[in-house]
Amino acid sequence: MDSVRKTQMTIIRIIIPLIGVISLLSIFLLENPKAFILGLLFGTGISLLNFFELANTLRRAVQMPPSKAQTFTTTKYFLRYVITGVVIYISIIAPYINVLGTIVGLMTIKLIILATNLFNDKKYFQNIFRRKEDESNGD
Amino acid sequence: METITGRALILACSAIGAGLAMIAGIGPGIGQGYAAGKGAEGVGRQPEAQGDIVRTMLLGAAVAETTGIYGLVIALILLFANPLVGML
Repeated sequence: MDSVRKTQMTIIRIIIPLIGVISLLSIFLLENPKAFILGLLFGTGISLLNFFELANTLRRAVQMPPSKAQTFTTTKYFLRYVITGVVIYISIIAPYINVLGTIVGLMTIKLIILATNLFNDKKYFQNIFRRKEDESNGD
Repeated sequence: METITGRALILACSAIGAGLAMIAGIGPGIGQGYAAGKGAEGVGRQPEAQGDIVRTMLLGAAVAETTGIYGLVIALILLFANPLVGML
């Protein structure tokens, strides 16, 4: 299995329990949890599909000449953007889907990427307080 | 001369605000395209590193993409579920 596929699987493995936890919390905290959970599933599903589409786009783009890759990736980005727009529009219009749930679902993927690739590294937090002047002096 | 009602003014200003919020969607598109172009150059120079290049680019592009979605959410809420109209 290549590293891209492995990353995708890691994200799926984390996103499913996270959605479960958020759904459970919504059952206890919200008045109408069904609409929120429906929105959450809707948003998460679409964001995962967008993520897979992004991976396919980038896999194809790196095989192209740079200028063509740039145009291709930008075009595909706007296609995904329109799809996301339609999803948010539907969740605003439909009374049985909570728009906040959809937005949370669309954003979870960013949270997971940051949590698994940036905030899990202790050096990231240490580097925030490290002065660059000290490094150049060899201290 | 017709007077402009408060509701009409809010709706007009919301439409302008929605248009301005959509500008946020352009940046990630340009950024992703630029990154993909540089990634293609990198793969051309070092084909064996393709997996790592695509993986790093994928994570960066996915994070950048959600930033564009913020603007989209604001624009669509201003247009179709405007909370300001109810405050009149």
